[in-house]
Amino acid sequence: MKELFNQLDPFSRRQFVLRAAQTALGVSILPIGAASIVRAAGGAGGKAKRGILLYMSGGMSHMDTFDPKPGAETAGKTQGIDTGVAGVQLAEFLPELAKRFKDIAVIRSMNQKTGDHRGGSYWVRTSYEKRATIVHPTMGPWAQTLLGKAHDTLPDSVVIGGGGEHPGSGFFGPALSPLPIGDPDRGVQNSHPYQGVGTDLFEKRMDLMNTFDQSFRRKFQTDEVKAYTQFYDETLKLMKSKDLDTFDLSKEKDYQQKVERYGNTRIGKGAILAKRLVSAGVRFVEVVSGGWDMHNDLWGEIPSTAGEMDKAISALIDDLKAEGLFEETIIAVATEFGRTPIINANAGRDHHPRVFSTMLAGGGIVGGQVYGASDEKGIAVKEDICNPQDFNATIAYALGLDLNKVIYSPSGRPFLVAGHTRDPKTDQIVSAGKPIMQLFS
Amino acid sequence: MKIRFTRLFLALLSTGALILTAGSAWAEVRTWTSSDGRTVQAEFIGTSGAGTNATVKLKLSDGKIAEYPISKLSEQDRIFVKGNLPTDPAALAEEIDTLVMNKLKESYYGLQAELAALPTKEGLTPDEKANRKMEIDREMQMCVPNPTTSDNQFLRRIYLDVVGRIPTYDEADAFLNDRSPNKRAVLIDKLLNSEGFVMRMYNYYSDLLRIRDGLVMMGNDSLKVDSYMEWVKDCVRTDKPLNTMVKEMLTATGKLWDSPATGFMVTDDGMPLCNLSNTFTVFMGTEITCAQCHDHPFEEVYQMDFYKMAAFMGETVTRARGGDNYRNEVDRMSQILKAAGKLPPKVNQDNALSRWFGSNRTDVLDTNENTVRLPHDYKYDDGEPNMKIEPATYFGDKMDVTKYKTPREAFADWVISPNNPRFTVNVVNRFWKLAFGLAQIEPVDNLPGHLDGQAENYQLLTFLEEMMKDLNYSVKGFFRVIYNTNTYQREAETMTPSLTQVDTGTYHFPGPVLRRMSAEQIWDSLVALTTADPESVTRKGADRYKEVMDVAPASLTTADQIEKWKKEWTSVSRLVRNGGEEVSKDERVGGQQMFRASELRQPMPPDHFLRMFGQSDKQLIENQFTTGSSPQVMALLNGEITNKVLTSPDAYLIKEIAYGKGSKRDNIDKIFLSVLTRYPTSEEKTIAQSGMRAKTNRDMNEQQKMEVEAQAIGNVIWALVNAREFMFVQ
Repeated sequence: MKELFNQLDPFSRRQFVLRAAQTALGVSILPIGAASIVRAAGGAGGKAKRGILLYMSGGMSHMDTFDPKPGAETAGKTQGIDTGVAGVQLAEFLPELAKRFKDIAVIRSMNQKTGDHRGGSYWVRTSYEKRATIVHPTMGPWAQTLLGKAHDTLPDSVVIGGGGEHPGSGFFGPALSPLPIGDPDRGVQNSHPYQGVGTDLFEKRMDLMNTFDQSFRRKFQTDEVKAYTQFYDETLKLMKSKDLDTFDLSKEKDYQQKVERYGNTRIGKGAILAKRLVSAGVRFVEVVSGGWDMHNDLWGEIPSTAGEMDKAISALIDDLKAEGLFEETIIAVATEFGRTPIINANAGRDHHPRVFSTMLAGGGIVGGQVYGASDEKGIAVKEDICNPQDFNATIAYALGLDLNKVIYSPSGRPFLVAGHTRDPKTDQIVSAGKPIMQLFS
Repeated sequence: MKIRFTRLFLALLSTGALILTAGSAWAEVRTWTSSDGRTVQAEFIGTSGAGTNATVKLKLSDGKIAEYPISKLSEQDRIFVKGNLPTDPAALAEEIDTLVMNKLKESYYGLQAELAALPTKEGLTPDEKANRKMEIDREMQMCVPNPTTSDNQFLRRIYLDVVGRIPTYDEADAFLNDRSPNKRAVLIDKLLNSEGFVMRMYNYYSDLLRIRDGLVMMGNDSLKVDSYMEWVKDCVRTDKPLNTMVKEMLTATGKLWDSPATGFMVTDDGMPLCNLSNTFTVFMGTEITCAQCHDHPFEEVYQMDFYKMAAFMGETVTRARGGDNYRNEVDRMSQILKAAGKLPPKVNQDNALSRWFGSNRTDVLDTNENTVRLPHDYKYDDGEPNMKIEPATYFGDKMDVTKYKTPREAFADWVISPNNPRFTVNVVNRFWKLAFGLAQIEPVDNLPGHLDGQAENYQLLTFLEEMMKDLNYSVKGFFRVIYNTNTYQREAETMTPSLTQVDTGTYHFPGPVLRRMSAEQIWDSLVALTTADPESVTRKGADRYKEVMDVAPASLTTADQIEKWKKEWTSVSRLVRNGGEEVSKDERVGGQQMFRASELRQPMPPDHFLRMFGQSDKQLIENQFTTGSSPQVMALLNGEITNKVLTSPDAYLIKEIAYGKGSKRDNIDKIFLSVLTRYPTSEEKTIAQSGMRAKTNRDMNEQQKMEVEAQAIGNVIWALVNAREFMFVQ
């Protein structure tokens, strides 16, 4: 054991990964060229070949979306709407999802420890508590690590509209970082020559550059210099390649009609791009959508915020079905916490990690179900508690990831995709998260 | 003449020649003690050499002059001699060069011998022999010192290393035309005393210490980092001894705006155990995080050790418990704002106010109550779960906490003690890496327990360690010596040290390693191309922050006062020109704020140029990277920086050239010197000239002509900035 650790000691491991990345061939839009493809056979669980996480940033109010309590004193103005399943209602702001309830599963017993946005969203995205000594990876990079790369030239994971504190690839390093897309309409940053720079001028500048750089490159033939030269060659290829079109929404078939259906909103366009990317071979896409931190005037805001989400997810489900990808794609809706049942002085609700809701669909999830429940007022979990580790274990299981596969950080610490704990009987490190099997049957 | 101390003592003792003569006015006869306890009476004459390898000249009673290696003297004698040791950078630099050369020679001959023995070596296949021969050939090449840098190469590198950017045209021109023989040493001094050095070191420290806007990792991120940031910069500026700086960070009490060194503890607010791990990593190059949960798998660090160390900080909290009740004040003020119609219709409580006043609870203090307990699942037999733990060290000095006001102060003294085997080594190892691109021991954050045999050059490392102590932890002093060495002033290595060389410490520094510039070095170099004086604008906010935080909430009684206070809060940090004039947010070149990275938001947003090229997100220690990526290349090919900012008519270089008087050929010299710190070859000049041909015509007005010309000049600048020669530090 010790010997194995020594071979993987921090510096050489990190250097090895980076050097391998620098000298790898076949790089495309990847933030850094990654190692060659190793496709694992699908795991026991997973029907899902890809995943889309729609992250509702700010803390989605459970009582006004997936877990309405009409009639309860804490309900506020929110009414319920029937789903076609007896006894199950969604909030009135989700009419389209209510119509598609047979395709979705709702978890109403989410629970986590912190009412802090940063700590909470970190916990939900990584299955680990935020620490000051390490950054844990998120689902996309985990899938790449456990299954190998999904596509030769496209990145394995993409985050659309993520902010500055996304944990990304964590200790897996920059080579596995999800490609960040700020604005879905703009696609990959800087992928076309600057406006006014035509092909001739571009070529002329490249000639100048190569001439000026000749003697330096001849003298310093180090790995890093060669790697950069290779990045230039490959980027030039990429700028002409079809892969770039994958990120170009305007190339989407019937784009305007789709914008109508998904909504001309960030989440709407994010969802179109996510669908486009997973269809092309990207394994995991996260779409981040904000505006949920409704401390003030909740009922002034929730109709539009929840309505936009409702529209985007519904259209996404429809299109994945139409393309025959729904059963192979796990869709997850998550948030860092719910909101207080008690309405505050500003007609809003505050942070509430004790109970909240999430949603899953596709990828082997059997729709029309509700898992777990909150109490009558929406204050605490009543049955079947589900923590972020279980939630992530469920997604990972759907994707066919090995939940018990230990991966060591460069500092030699062991980690698992859905968090870890020590089995008291065997003293082995095992997954802390347990997939909710009920959702698959 | 170096005589081994003990043997000499024996000789002296046996002859019984220990009669003293009266010393002259300047000399002092005293008792000298060797490290193994033998004594001799002698007169102090002087020293030669430097650092640990220095020798002391003593006049013995029989009038003979003897030289003793200083390393063989007792600590007391060392202190006596210290004041007389040469701190002349040139002498110290020479000693370093000697140690490096010795190692290079030794390795060269070692490899040569191995090569000679290779054909007859047993147990190797012909293929293995052939491979080993290639390796040896390669390593032998790297055992030959590289040629000394040309003035151009030296100039570019010393600017990048000391002030963190390339020299401007004027700076390059001045140095290259300087004929004085000691101009390199003079430049090193000048740069070390410049504001650029402060900015460069700030970037380094802020990556190491994770200094960022909002500061804390979790929870209320309304804290302003400015006080801490300015304190760190001030430590560099005034060359505060590094051990003092560290002690202040570990012992500071109070609120961030009154006592900025508390920033280090506040960063890990709510996570004291992580803070301890981070302290070890940053200041002792030791990774003990794993011992938080179990015994260290391969080093002698037990989980118990971790908690004993943690107990030193167990009385310290970063947040005042209870304290003033700001909630009531926030309610009161919200009502005032509401009544004055300053809040949106459905909002009754101003959340910004509660966040800001809430940040007032951040306060580093010692409570007299040690909260450190063993974890609930502690499983070793030397303690019970949840047991209270007393502070104790597991290496270095034993500390008696009763002699200190707080256990934390004992801990700080332990960390910076000359007897701490990690503290000084960690510093010099990290600083060596900063100058040479590779440390004496890699990785820098996980030094092995025993350094001998692990370090690249153990003698050199111990020399550097002693030198740092002798220089009284002067950071400027240390770098002054390093940059004056021939070793540093050699050309960068043209080959990549192999992974084995890095891991086993067998790259022996024939010159520095070729490095890609850090994100900040790239950005700051671009700043040097677009502004006349890159260091003229600095970020200021500490004074204003203190004023804002010192306001008693109760004194804000009208809506206007509250609104004013809110406005002052949000505008605490601002950019200020040398003269004190505030810089407008609109002051941009080609749409970008072109100021030094150390003065901008910490860190910049993830899609910013700086982050793309590897600026640390300041979430983890040393989280910056210099590896390449396609987004970087696309940013340089197609992004705003190379296409709009550098070619903007407002950019300094463009302005100088387009409005300057020089001929086109002179202008090309100017561009090359500005971007690459060298003149073009005649071939390059001809090609550049054709690349700069602007298509102007008579119908254009002055503005239009100017833009077209800027664009044409921009072609050459674009090409040069995209060159590997720009991005790598030779």
